[in-house]
Amino acid sequence: MEILTASAGSYPRIGSRPKEQRHRQAYAQWERGEISSEEFERVQDEVTREAIEEQVRAGLDVVTDGQVRWYDPVSHFTRKLGGCEIDGLLRFFDTNSYFRQPVVVGEVRWLEPVIKREFLFAKKISSAPVKPVMTGPYTLAKLSINRRGLGLAELVHEFAGAISQEVSELAKVGAKLIQIDEPAILKNQNEFGLLKSALEEVAASKGKTKLALYTYFGDAAPLYGKLVRLPIDVVGFDFTYSPGLPKVIARLGCEKELGLGLIDGRNTKLESEREVIEVLKLIAPNIGSKRLYLNPSCGLAEYLPREVAFRKLQNMVAIARKARELI
Amino acid sequence: MREKLEKLGLELPLLPMTSVGSFPKPSHLLEARRKFAAGQLDAGELHRLEEQATREWVALQEEIGLDVFVDGEMYRGDMTTYFARNLEGFKISGLVRSYGNRYYRKPIIVGEVGWREPITVEWWKFTQGLTRKPVKGIVTGPYTMMDWSFNEHYQSRREACLALAEALHEEVKALAKAGAKIIQVDEPAISARPEELPEFAIEAMRMVTRGVDAYFISHICYGAFEFIYPGMLELPVDNFDLEMSNSELDLIELFREHPFSKDLSFGVVDVHSHIVEGVELVKKRIQRALEVLTPEQLWIDPDCGLKTRTREETVNKLKTIVKATQDTRAHLGGEMSRRTGK
Repeated sequence: MEILTASAGSYPRIGSRPKEQRHRQAYAQWERGEISSEEFERVQDEVTREAIEEQVRAGLDVVTDGQVRWYDPVSHFTRKLGGCEIDGLLRFFDTNSYFRQPVVVGEVRWLEPVIKREFLFAKKISSAPVKPVMTGPYTLAKLSINRRGLGLAELVHEFAGAISQEVSELAKVGAKLIQIDEPAILKNQNEFGLLKSALEEVAASKGKTKLALYTYFGDAAPLYGKLVRLPIDVVGFDFTYSPGLPKVIARLGCEKELGLGLIDGRNTKLESEREVIEVLKLIAPNIGSKRLYLNPSCGLAEYLPREVAFRKLQNMVAIARKARELI
Repeated sequence: MREKLEKLGLELPLLPMTSVGSFPKPSHLLEARRKFAAGQLDAGELHRLEEQATREWVALQEEIGLDVFVDGEMYRGDMTTYFARNLEGFKISGLVRSYGNRYYRKPIIVGEVGWREPITVEWWKFTQGLTRKPVKGIVTGPYTMMDWSFNEHYQSRREACLALAEALHEEVKALAKAGAKIIQVDEPAISARPEELPEFAIEAMRMVTRGVDAYFISHICYGAFEFIYPGMLELPVDNFDLEMSNSELDLIELFREHPFSKDLSFGVVDVHSHIVEGVELVKKRIQRALEVLTPEQLWIDPDCGLKTRTREETVNKLKTIVKATQDTRAHLGGEMSRRTGK
């Protein structure tokens, strides 16, 4: 059994040391018009470099660019898509962070690469493989205000077209694994059909690149059987909402690679090695792919202080090392 | 709940006017708080400035003509960290991002939560000593304290929430003992996970309020009411303080389907907007509330705390509330005397 460690998304931009305040200070200066967008961009490059460096130093096998440039997981995509405007702040699921809500006023279309430049920059500077992360078509549609009076199914389909285009752009420039986040499905499990057709469309454009689907902020256990039958390569779960999930996976098994969000990305408490390994032992025998990713339950930027995020990742890597000996 | 108010000796007019909790801090106080945090100002001097600012807000509330006062929270920073710093069992985390370039520090539960001594009581007494109008005692509720803190100690969210409820019950008792007759338990996070409302959030509120002789208000904001209504009516409080203008008043439709059985503090001005609403607009909002509530059930206030507005915006928004409410009262008075033939 191969057990790899991965990031599940974002990484905190600022820490508590004075030199780690740079992003916040530059952001404020940029908002006040004291520095140019290019200067702010350079600071974001530097902080991206730090975020990658810290993930590598923690020992991760797969990193992300930390999503340092994202305002939030929703508007970061819709602001570059045709047909979308950006509205006010709304709470992001049950968290204490906010996103700018998109308003769909015209046909949703892919106009230009959204995260390609970010991915290429990260790939160039990282010594570990970089996984680009995107918010999926169902979640984007679900969190948008729909001003066009078309049905949700049509809107999901339009977003799926745009995300497919971005996936094929990323595949062309060398992304080996792309993560699609669909947290919204967990609170709307009766709409699984919409998610399914959207992801089938996205999967058709991935070529040889592997596609990961991650869900979080809800109990995925009732959907497990359906999620692992989707035409994707890796399925990621948030275990913090799902006390019953380990047993469900142990019982139903899986031929796919799984992303195990056993590290709570929203709590400062460090995980106990014993408890995580117990779950890994329970799950591992029924995983046909013989590959598991151990990762945080969600991105970390909005939920943990930077020092704690780093310690969490270090602890996760230590647990994975131990698990490889035992399993 | 007019009987309960009367029993407590509170004589309030119809449509009592109040505010939610916080007012903007004057810039010299913000500066003093920064200096204090940097160790350049002693606690006594900061306290003196906080008292001065509180006096000013009490005088302004008198002048504006509100019926139920607040202390304005000149001495509080964040509503969860303020209580976390004063309860046992907490540490405060490093910086966590909220959105854009906004960061905050989050409490961490690291041990048994406990109540050491009164936290807000001296401030309540100080403020009540400045006015004959009733002053609300205000605490942050157990569910919100739990949801907005990291938890390194308790096995579950339920366990953490109930431990907080025990501790906050002591604070509520101390407020009532000091003479507070109206106590507000803020629960802005209560709709975070709707399934937890029947699982333990209602139980926690019962623990906070049990056996305490006071009129209880619970302030709730940030939407998602459709998921917790009408279940939230089970929370053992007398009055819900809801943001109605920011939610474009769609709660009215919910209340049509399932009647609202408690008193309601109806937020009629948006606290996130610099624009001061016109009197006519606010009157219309009150009229809409009266389509689904009796005048005896209704209180009038802003959507939420006003600390992010300027002093001038705050005063003007409150004045608008007073004018719109007075007009509505006059109209209601006329209607009532016609009805009773007086």
